[in-house]
Amino acid sequence: MRVPVARHHTAFVLLASLALILAACGSSAQSSGPTATTAASEASESEPASAAAEPNELLVLDWSGYEADDFWTDFKAANPDTEVAFEFGDTDANILALMQGGSQADIFHFYTGWQQFYVDEGLVQEIDTSKLANWDKVPDRYQELGQIDGKQYFVPWDWGFTSILYNTEQVDEVTSWDALFNEEYAGHVSMWNDGPGAVAVSSYVNGWDETALTEDQLAQIEADWIAQKSLNAFYWSGEYTDLCPAVQDGTVWVAYAWQGCYATALAAGDPVAYANPEEGRNSWVGLYGISSDTDSYELALEFLDLKLAELSCGNAVTLFYYGCANGDVMAAIEDPVLIEAFGINDPSILESTNFTPLVTEEQREAWTGMWERVQAE
Amino acid sequence: MLGRRGTLKFLAGPPLVWLALFFLLPLFLIAAFSFRAGSGAIGPSDPWAPSVEQYQEVLGTPAFMRLLGVSVLVAVGVAGFATLLAYPVAYFLTFRAGSHASLYLTLLLVPFAVSYLLRVMAWKLMLGPEGGINSLLGSLGLTEEPIGLLLYSRPAVIITLVYVWIPFAALPIYAAMQRIDRNHLEAAADLGAGPWARFWRVTVPLSLPGALATFFMVFIPTVGEYVTPSLVGGTDGIMYGNIIQGFFTRSANWPMGSAMAMIMLGLTLTLVVVALRVVDLRRVAA
Repeated sequence: MRVPVARHHTAFVLLASLALILAACGSSAQSSGPTATTAASEASESEPASAAAEPNELLVLDWSGYEADDFWTDFKAANPDTEVAFEFGDTDANILALMQGGSQADIFHFYTGWQQFYVDEGLVQEIDTSKLANWDKVPDRYQELGQIDGKQYFVPWDWGFTSILYNTEQVDEVTSWDALFNEEYAGHVSMWNDGPGAVAVSSYVNGWDETALTEDQLAQIEADWIAQKSLNAFYWSGEYTDLCPAVQDGTVWVAYAWQGCYATALAAGDPVAYANPEEGRNSWVGLYGISSDTDSYELALEFLDLKLAELSCGNAVTLFYYGCANGDVMAAIEDPVLIEAFGINDPSILESTNFTPLVTEEQREAWTGMWERVQAE
Repeated sequence: MLGRRGTLKFLAGPPLVWLALFFLLPLFLIAAFSFRAGSGAIGPSDPWAPSVEQYQEVLGTPAFMRLLGVSVLVAVGVAGFATLLAYPVAYFLTFRAGSHASLYLTLLLVPFAVSYLLRVMAWKLMLGPEGGINSLLGSLGLTEEPIGLLLYSRPAVIITLVYVWIPFAALPIYAAMQRIDRNHLEAAADLGAGPWARFWRVTVPLSLPGALATFFMVFIPTVGEYVTPSLVGGTDGIMYGNIIQGFFTRSANWPMGSAMAMIMLGLTLTLVVVALRVVDLRRVAA
C-alpha cells in the first residue's frame, strides 16, 4: 500500500509545484522586460535615421478602435506595401507605462494633460514639421498643444468631448455629471476605468479646481466613488469593446463616454443622447508622438502627415464623430448633426467646456492610486 | 556515448535554462521592483535604493487586504466546485468508460482547442440579458424580464472559472484513479464490502491525493485571476489580480504592482505549505 501512496504523493507535489509555477508566471507576466529609457538630452540630440535605411513597417501604440483603416486611409493608399501593426492601451497612464516599459512602438497616441512626461523621460523626439505637407492646415492653438519649451514634440490629431451618454427611454434628460451618482440607475451605470477621469468628474460636480485639490477634497472624491461603485454594471476600458455593446444591448443606461460611442449607437438607431451638463463637458485633444527609439522616423512622419490629410481626418469626423486637427476639414462640415455634435454653431460652447489640464507626477500617482483603492473596496 | 550524469545534464539542461530565464529571472525582477520607492515603470539604468515603502502601503491599505482575502475565498470556492464536479468525470473515465475512455478523454479536452478568452466571452454572451440562460428562463415563462444579476457579478466569475477549470481538473484525479490497484477493490468485495463501501473506503482514499492536487492546481492560479473578472465580474466581481494589473497598466506603478504580486505569492505559498502539513496524505491514503 505504501509504495503507490508514495507515488501519489510525489505526483501531487510535482503537480502542485507546476501549478505554483503557472500561478507565479500569471502574476508576473504583466511585466514585460524593461528596457532603458533614453535620456531627454539624448532624444533632443538624436538624428532621425535616413529613410533609405528604414524598415518598411510601423508599429503604432494606439487606443482600441483607432486601428480601423478609415483612420489612416491616406497612408494606406500611398504605402500599400508598408506593414502597419497596432498595439493597444486603454488609458493615458497605460500608454505612458507601455512606453516607459520599453514598447517597440514607433508612434504613440495619448491625450492632453500627459505631454510633459514623455519629454521629461526622453520617450519622444521632435517633429520636423517642415516635412508635413498638411501641417499648415492645423490651427495654431492645436499646434501649440504639442509644444514643450517651444519645440514641437507632438502632432495634434483628434479632439472631442467627454460627457454623459444616456438611454433616452430609461433616463430623463441628463443635465449634470452627477447622473453618474444617481441611485435610480443602480446596476446600469458605467464609468471609465481611469482615476484621472474620476477626479475630473468629481471636480466638476463639486465645483473644485482639479489642479489644486486638497487632501480632504481627494479623500472626499475617493469616498464618493466608493459609494458610487455599486451603481456600475462594470467599469469600461475599451470604448468599442466594452461600452458600446453594453449601451446598445440596454445593459448600460448612463455612462461616462466619448463621442465615438454616441455616434455608433446613434447610427444604429438606438435611443441615446449626449448630455450638455451644466458644469460643462470635458474636452480633450489627441496627440501623436514619435518614439525616440524608432528606426522609422521618416515613415512615421509620413504616417502622421497623412493622418492629417483630408480623407483620414474627414473619416474621423463623419464616421466617428471626432473632431480632427485639420482646420479645412472642420470648416467644411455641413451636416447639421455634426454641427450640433461639435457645437460649431454655439459660440458659448468653449466657454462652458472644461479643457484637460496638464497633470503632474504627484497628481498622477495620487489619482491613480486613489482609483485602485476604490476598485478594491 | 553520454554517461549517466551527461545524459541527465543533456535532458535537464534546456528546461532548467528556460525556467531560469523565463521564470526565475522575471520573478527576481518582480521581487526587486517591489523593493523600490516611488511609482512609474522601471528601467535597468534607474537607480535602486531598497525600500519597503510599497509593502507598507499595501499592508496598510485595508481595502487591498480585504480583497486579497475575498480572492482567496473565491479561489477556494472555485477549486472546491471544480474538484467536486471533476471527480465524477474522472471516475466515469476510469471505471465506467471501458474501451471508449480514450475517446471520452479526447472529448473532455476539446474545449482546450478554443482560446481561453473565447470560452470566457462565450459565458459573457450566455449570462447576458439577451443570452442563452435568460432566453431559456423567459421562454419557459419563469421570468418576465432578464435577470440582471447573472452577468457582472461575483457568481458569474465563479461559474465561468469553474467551467473553464473542470476539464483540466479532471486529469490529475483520473491519473490518480488509474493507479488504484484493482486487487484492492476485489479484496474489499471478497471481504463483503458493497459498492458504496468500496467507493468510500477504497476508491476515495486512494484517489484523494489526486483530488487534492486538483484542488491546489485550480486554487493557486485562481487567486491571481484577473481576465475572467474583467470580462464577466463587473464592479462586484473585481479580484486582487485586477488591482495588480491596474497598477502595472492603468496606474503605471510597477513597484506597487510588484509588491502586491509578491504578497499574493507569499500568501499562496504559505497556504499551500500549511495545507500540506495539515493534510497528511500518507495517513489519508493509508
